[in-house]
Amino acid sequence: MPDNLDGFDYDAALAACAAGDQSALRRLYDQEGARLLGVARRIVRDTALAEDIVHDAFIKVWTGAGSFDPLRGAARGWLYTVTRHLALNAVRDNAREIGVDDATAAALDASASMAQWVDATDSFAWQGSAGRIAACMEQLETVRRNCLLHAYVDGLSHREIAERVDAPAGTVKSWIKRSLATLKLCLS
Amino acid sequence: MSNQPLSDALRAQAAEYVLGTLGLDERRAIELELGSNAALRAAVVQWEADLLPLASLAEPVQPSKQLWRRIARSAAVTPPPLPNTSFWRNLSLWRGLTGASVAMSVLLAVLLAARPDAGMGKPQYMVVLVAPQNQAPGYVVQASMGRQLSLVPLHAAPIPSDKSLQFWTKADGWRGPVSLGLVKPGQTITIPLDALPNVQPNQLFELTLEPARGSPINKPTGPIQFIGRAVKVM
Repeated sequence: MPDNLDGFDYDAALAACAAGDQSALRRLYDQEGARLLGVARRIVRDTALAEDIVHDAFIKVWTGAGSFDPLRGAARGWLYTVTRHLALNAVRDNAREIGVDDATAAALDASASMAQWVDATDSFAWQGSAGRIAACMEQLETVRRNCLLHAYVDGLSHREIAERVDAPAGTVKSWIKRSLATLKLCLS
Repeated sequence: MSNQPLSDALRAQAAEYVLGTLGLDERRAIELELGSNAALRAAVVQWEADLLPLASLAEPVQPSKQLWRRIARSAAVTPPPLPNTSFWRNLSLWRGLTGASVAMSVLLAVLLAARPDAGMGKPQYMVVLVAPQNQAPGYVVQASMGRQLSLVPLHAAPIPSDKSLQFWTKADGWRGPVSLGLVKPGQTITIPLDALPNVQPNQLFELTLEPARGSPINKPTGPIQFIGRAVKVM
């Protein structure tokens, strides 16, 4: 994903939000709302909760636009960062409330056995994603790559990933740790 | 503010925080530490940027019609916080972005323009309109006791020949922006506030790029060229 999709000026929209211009918030919503909702729903696996999260993310962007520091990252990335972390906090929070086993069970819905089979090959059409990250991901063994993607895209915990790829949790934990170190080397 | 290099453990946690595999307590601990640890912040920002392309693996989901309405309603009751007064913040921004000399010349222009002239009286409110992209100041708005408002250009930024600049204002609680008319680049205009209440603190002013005869729907449709909020000066 390029930083400036369709030439949309994210920095200008944020600056206008900071000045209290609600039409700029609407432009951001029209530009990214559906994609952000997709990101949130993939993590929380519930459309109504995902809409709550996108709502909270846009209000966070609205109230935080004035203190947004471009030196801390691109404006577009910030929208995704805010949305993902709200979603992750919500599922981790939820996991505590309803007990890890329930959460894990919920994650392993009817499609899980299918996903497990697919995991032996590639469960993500990740090659299409732009940027250096794709080339670096390609260097990882398929199952380790899938662990990273289940974490980042699906918001699964170590334990849930372990169930999904049918490997011990400790193994998954160290795969992820080492894969991240490999990625860092490749990216730098 | 810690500027120590990151420990290996914290470096690994930064990556897993962004990846999403930390438990809630670890997530909260990292979020707390982010506020004071610049090296940790830098590591997290880098990971966020590196992994962002993977977010496109999630299929977009069309939001329900209610979602925008909820966001708009919440945004209307939570205006963005303006740090200190926007005027002084803008001043420091200009110093950072365009250098002290520009800020000084703008201040001078403002002070000269603010001298009482025929019928205006002393300005009660002043608004510096800046370009949203780079905060470069472009116009100054003054509102006086005499129920009129003047728009003074600081320079004449050209616009495409088939477009016009339209001047808008909106105070807190108004339903939408109200047009104050079309403006030629570089032109100083004075507008009587006949139909409008007096300028309020924080009132929004903006110039948008519109079709040659102005917005067809009497609401801003084009990109914002200059924008700012009213600050009381006396």
